[in-house]
Amino acid sequence: MPAFLERSPPSRWHALNPLTKLIFATVTAMVGLIIGGLVGPLILVAVAVVLPASVAGVLGRLVRTSVLVSLPIAISTLLINVFFFPGGQEVLLRLGPVVATREGVGFALEILARILTISGAITLFYLTTRPSELVLDLERRGVSPRVAFVANASVQTVPAMLERASNIVAAQRARGLDTEGSLVRRIRGLLPVVAPVVLGSIVEVEERTLALEARGFTRPGRRALLWFPGDSAGQRAARWLLVSAVPAAALAAAYGLLAWLP
Amino acid sequence: MACSPGFHETCGDTVLSLRGVSYRYAGATDPAIRDVDLTMQDGELLGIVGASEAGKSTLCLVAAGLAPRTIRGSLSGTVHLDGDDAASLQMHELAARIGICFQRPWTQLSGVCETVFEEVAFGPMNLGAPRDETLARTEEALTALAITDLAPRDPARLSGGQMQLVAICGLLAMGPAHLVLDEPTAQLDPAGTRLVADALAQLAASGASILIAEQKTDLLAALCSRIIVLQAGRVIRDGPTVEVLTDPELPRQGVPETSAGRLRRLATEAGIATELLDQALD
Amino acid sequence: MALVGQNGSGKSTLVRHLNGLLRPTEGRVWVDGVDAAGRTVAQLARLVGSVFQDPDRQIFAGSVRAEVEFGPRNLGLTGAQLRAAVAEALAAVGLDGQEDANPFDLGDTRRKLLALASVLAMGTPVLIMDEPTTGQDARGMGLVRAVIAAAHAAGKTIIAVSHDMNFVAGDFDRIVVLGAGRVILDGAPEEVFAEEQWPLLASTFLEPPLAARVGARLGLGSTPADAALIRALADRGQQFDGKGAKPPHQPT
Repeated sequence: MPAFLERSPPSRWHALNPLTKLIFATVTAMVGLIIGGLVGPLILVAVAVVLPASVAGVLGRLVRTSVLVSLPIAISTLLINVFFFPGGQEVLLRLGPVVATREGVGFALEILARILTISGAITLFYLTTRPSELVLDLERRGVSPRVAFVANASVQTVPAMLERASNIVAAQRARGLDTEGSLVRRIRGLLPVVAPVVLGSIVEVEERTLALEARGFTRPGRRALLWFPGDSAGQRAARWLLVSAVPAAALAAAYGLLAWLP
Repeated sequence: MACSPGFHETCGDTVLSLRGVSYRYAGATDPAIRDVDLTMQDGELLGIVGASEAGKSTLCLVAAGLAPRTIRGSLSGTVHLDGDDAASLQMHELAARIGICFQRPWTQLSGVCETVFEEVAFGPMNLGAPRDETLARTEEALTALAITDLAPRDPARLSGGQMQLVAICGLLAMGPAHLVLDEPTAQLDPAGTRLVADALAQLAASGASILIAEQKTDLLAALCSRIIVLQAGRVIRDGPTVEVLTDPELPRQGVPETSAGRLRRLATEAGIATELLDQALD
Repeated sequence: MALVGQNGSGKSTLVRHLNGLLRPTEGRVWVDGVDAAGRTVAQLARLVGSVFQDPDRQIFAGSVRAEVEFGPRNLGLTGAQLRAAVAEALAAVGLDGQEDANPFDLGDTRRKLLALASVLAMGTPVLIMDEPTTGQDARGMGLVRAVIAAAHAAGKTIIAVSHDMNFVAGDFDRIVVLGAGRVILDGAPEEVFAEEQWPLLASTFLEPPLAARVGARLGLGSTPADAALIRALADRGQQFDGKGAKPPHQPT
């Protein structure tokens, strides 16, 4: 097999099987939600997000991306809960009719911690796994090649569609489409932009379908893949362990075993 | 007859046979092609010319079995590939026997392959070939079109002409008995057209059977031994290239003259002897 | 004027500066004596009509009529004037009678003509066409050439980006050759396609038209267009003693 097809992962974390990384991210997010509190999720973030991220060498990017993505939710949550937490007693700050309470701040911080856990876990997965490798792994495990293709193709479609859209806007502006006028005019100007994107995509889908059929896409059954991500007994065991952590955490929370965590 | 690399042995000499074929698209009132009789022999290069909407694309789709199968419509008459009725074959069986290439290079790429090598391997993989066979066929096809140096490149970043070569290569890797090409150079610049034309000439020289529809009569003049003229869905001319392309009726039938032909005609109309011209045109 | 050069030489980038879609990082663009920098794209659209290469990146309406009306309507045309502009444009591209057709029921080549009509109807003094002959059949090609000739006769400025050398050599009086983002040649077809320039043309992957090559081979000087070659042959023929020459007859 040609050398350039051998994938060489940049770190040991990257080299893990995509399914392992997917389950790891999902479990981290779910456990973070379940255990609640402030310290629990923060410990989880340190162990299950920061640590693997530094092993993988993506810590910097992860912090930037994760913070950027969660910033809107974080700000709105903070504002709502700090000032409008029901049952808040200890007043910290008074701004006219609006009151910031200590309980509100506490609650807001807990929510923030959960948001951090979830977004950190998802970003870690996204930064260390190529979608095509995940899809290949799934196909190896039995997912139909046609479903796998759709999954892969959907990811690729977005940049192509964006490029089309910008081209279309240019063409319509050249015909006098007003993109700088009043709101009403701009809304009216949406159809000449959206319609070609949709219509053109439909035409393109027809042609793509023909081309795919001409390359044997419709043959039922599996394919012999040129390459797929490796797996190991150790990772299989780890995946089962991880999955079982979710009900375990749920039980622990239900029985109040975690009440000692602030 | 010797087999060209990547091409199957064909049983008998007639690789494609259409008899009394008419095809009407779903929702259309008139058939796009009518009463077409066409046979193609092994190793033959057949060109199709005609005005746009004369039925060239329809003929290509019918010859490749994609109509009426994927394109909804009704077909009358019979289509035989190597003696087998096309209607009796499954779509992927047809895909293995005929490779069809379309006008727009970028819609023919799978869109999921990160290297040209995987793109070319897409076809054989879909057909269920074992890993070693896929690798072998891909390497063969890349060598046949001399694009092995493109193998590690991202297919989405190639020029139009290169993309078309990759598309044709991907078809070759499936080992078809013959190729159908529907205006493969229509969207290409001269450099791309030259790339594709040279590749087709190479394939032709190695004994491939090729059916090619084109507006560029210059290209067909250099490549094909036989030309068919379509007008309003009917075959109005079927004969050797030289005869058909020098027919003075051709422009009226919507077919552009070859560059050389046009020069000769203009010279004759202006009353100039064509000997000098012929010398220079050789 | 024709703008030629390999893919990636900057042709499309250049023409997008002419109606304000792109703004220069250096230098200035003047349209009709006015600096384009002070004008929006919508304002420049009154002066410069631009037909893009792919009609499917422009067509949005459910009928041919609505599609062609879009441009002139944006420029403020209404009522009888609008109807007249649309009718004229459709007739010029041979689509009169198809006003109620759905654009996607037309074939590829006729859709391309529709895109041309919808910019023609805007009546701009400058008309830019990006690859007008690509993918066209003989009839479409004839229509495009007729449109260019008519617009030129009416005093409009035509700028065509093309890679069809026969087309540019025969129908244009000025050819600008781009290579790697720079202008490498600028002049009449006879100058641009003269034999001395062939290596320069080759550097941007362009080949001179057949008439030019034949003319060079026969030592007739620079004959880029068919007509020029025939004239040169006729002149050469005058020098012989009528050997084989027949009296000229009217072309059919």
